[in-house]
Amino acid sequence: MLLNAAYIMEFSPRYHHTAEQLHSEQLIIEAAKLNPEHFGPLYDKYYKQIFGYVYQRMDCKDTAFDLTAQVFLKALTNIEKYEYKGVPFASWLYRIAHSEVMQLFRTKKNLKTVNADISDLRHICEEVEEEYMEQYKSILMTVIKELPEDDLQLIEMRFFEKRPFKEIAEILNITETNAKVRLYRILERVKKTLTKKSK
Amino acid sequence: MEPKFNLNRPPINDEEINSNKDFGELVKKFKQQSIRKARQDVSFLKNKKVTYSSIIAGVAVICTVTYFSVFKKNPPKETSNDKITTIQNGSSTSQTKSNKAFIAPPISKLNVPYTSYHVKAEQGANITHKLSKSKIIIPKKAFVNKQGQDIVGDVEIRYREFHNQADIIASGIPMQYDSAGIKTHLESAGMLDIRGYQNNEPVFIKPNKTITVEFASSQPADKYNMYVLDTIGRNWVYTGRDNSLKGLKKQEGEKIAKEPEHNLDSPKMMALQKQIDAIPPKIETEKTVYEKKINQLPKTTQPSIPNKAIAGRPQFQLDVNYKEFPELEAFKNAVFEVGSENKNYDSKIADITWSSANVSEGPQKGKNYLLTLTLRARVEKLIVYPALTGADYDKALKSYEAKFADYKATVAKREATEKKLKEEFEAKQTAYTAELKKYNEDMVKERVRMRQQQEQELADEFSTLSKEQAVTRIFNISNFGICNSDCPSSMPKGESMHPVFITNNGASFITPHNTYLVSHSKNVVYTIYNGSSLSYDPKDTYSICVLASNGKMYLCDKQTFANSVVATKQHKIPVTLLSEEVNDAHDLKMAMGI
Repeated sequence: MLLNAAYIMEFSPRYHHTAEQLHSEQLIIEAAKLNPEHFGPLYDKYYKQIFGYVYQRMDCKDTAFDLTAQVFLKALTNIEKYEYKGVPFASWLYRIAHSEVMQLFRTKKNLKTVNADISDLRHICEEVEEEYMEQYKSILMTVIKELPEDDLQLIEMRFFEKRPFKEIAEILNITETNAKVRLYRILERVKKTLTKKSK
Repeated sequence: MEPKFNLNRPPINDEEINSNKDFGELVKKFKQQSIRKARQDVSFLKNKKVTYSSIIAGVAVICTVTYFSVFKKNPPKETSNDKITTIQNGSSTSQTKSNKAFIAPPISKLNVPYTSYHVKAEQGANITHKLSKSKIIIPKKAFVNKQGQDIVGDVEIRYREFHNQADIIASGIPMQYDSAGIKTHLESAGMLDIRGYQNNEPVFIKPNKTITVEFASSQPADKYNMYVLDTIGRNWVYTGRDNSLKGLKKQEGEKIAKEPEHNLDSPKMMALQKQIDAIPPKIETEKTVYEKKINQLPKTTQPSIPNKAIAGRPQFQLDVNYKEFPELEAFKNAVFEVGSENKNYDSKIADITWSSANVSEGPQKGKNYLLTLTLRARVEKLIVYPALTGADYDKALKSYEAKFADYKATVAKREATEKKLKEEFEAKQTAYTAELKKYNEDMVKERVRMRQQQEQELADEFSTLSKEQAVTRIFNISNFGICNSDCPSSMPKGESMHPVFITNNGASFITPHNTYLVSHSKNVVYTIYNGSSLSYDPKDTYSICVLASNGKMYLCDKQTFANSVVATKQHKIPVTLLSEEVNDAHDLKMAMGI
């Protein structure tokens, strides 16, 4: 069944917030706008998530740590411009992180890495209603590597980082339906390629 | 270059991640960066070229000001408070060159006009905007002049609202928004432009005073933020969340919560309820009186028929306290026969001289008794029956018959009184129940009448609401200018193209100056400047408005866009010249099919 694999949680406690949590976070943000020292709780809260996002897309750990630091510096520099849009602060940080990662890859293309587990590839097969076979591994790896950046990002977020659609939509600033439709189309293409190449 | 693919890369542990966290270093870098930036700004000002340029610019400004003050007696002025200024000033005034580039109505006749209101500055005013029923609440002594002095007397308030995509296009107000380098467009829940004048001179809102606009918005969603337009910074300035709907919902909630009270507001219902509430206590009182009367009726005990002694049965003779057991009075001189239920009775008991013998109530009240015989530690209990012999029995029987006759008469009298009291009580209870039923029926009728009245009122209210406004958004304005309740909306994603606008079935092309992509699913206009690509979501509905370099406006309606662009994915967009009959923003809205 496309897009409905049970293994992906549709609610992510690391990302989703209750209204009360959003409100508390908003208060910290407002305080941080007045004094950068108040940014600490946000830094502590999101450091691991943002590092995870950055490191997921590259091979070099040190570069990922440097870039994470850069993301938070940029966030702190621009915190005055941040405005609440009803979604967790993380979505803004992810967008900065995405922008920083893309900027790095524009100058150093060889740093770009796709990181996945074999179980993730199995799940993609399940999604496209294909039984996983060993021969699919190399085909899938090739197909994924050849995907356009936007498509790859969706695959990474959904299958390798196991993010719910709501979270993906908020990070990419698109609607949840749009995220689903786009991923559906990508998987359709993946399915076609799998069928074609495995013959 | 294809990326590298790592399969099953070992994860990094939390310890390693945390060891790289250094908030102190982050703050230090941030402060260093701020200092560096400040120094750069200073060194920029110290730059000779900048200095000379500033001097030249300063001289030019002085000359310009001198020219206007000498040769132009009353140049049109724009209202300006601090950073927030706007330049659009109706159709009759000219605009400065720089502002014209920022807020430029594409066709002046389409521009949304101001409505003028007059207020006594010292009195304040509550103005209802006649076009939308929005309310403008101006406090007393709210204005100062440019010297900061309080203004008295007549102040002219010029006010206009922008509700839809046509208003936005017609006004020329830029809706692009730059948030931390991310460029978006603003999806509008409503925008207003307010300014004040006295004798054609701009006035300013006094510090600590606020003009409140209860804006009649047609966008009910609770997702918008408040912005004011900074015409100097050339961007919208975020001022906070638009929480006005929360307050409104709260008020609605309170209104709903109060509705049952409102139901009781009918005086008739209140009176009926009072009468209904009074009846159960009345019934209860009657019941208490009735029960009391019943209890007060004389009580009588049925006399016991004397037993005749049966020869051969074991017997005891006892000295009985007749006060304690009045029913045994009939058994004076009686003997007590040992009942057959005393299975373990030993005739030797009769031979013992007991130290005490007590009679208490037996298992069958009034018929038998429990005889307790005690001798030191020995206790024997027997169920005994009183019995008489010979003349004593006859006498007792006679006495019994007389008492029984009295007893029967007393009981009959009591039953008759009880029946009478019961009938009286039931008659009263029936009367009260009938009264209660009537009140309840009246209450139901009144409630139905009230409900119908309320439904009618609600229907009227709803009708008014749907005609006039969906929701009210509260703008608290401390500076004159343009403010809005909007939320950022990214350019649609899906298909992208470099459009070519054609007219007369492709016979001629037009050169666009600005292209407005109008979303029909949300209240947003995406402005595409000349040379930029146009992207759209094929599943959404759009129309296009093009301001050509010749100053004319062309339209591609939603049907044409869907058929000629979305369906075919071609880059040629057929447009038609805006009709001469389109004379204002409302006509434009109609022409665009919004």
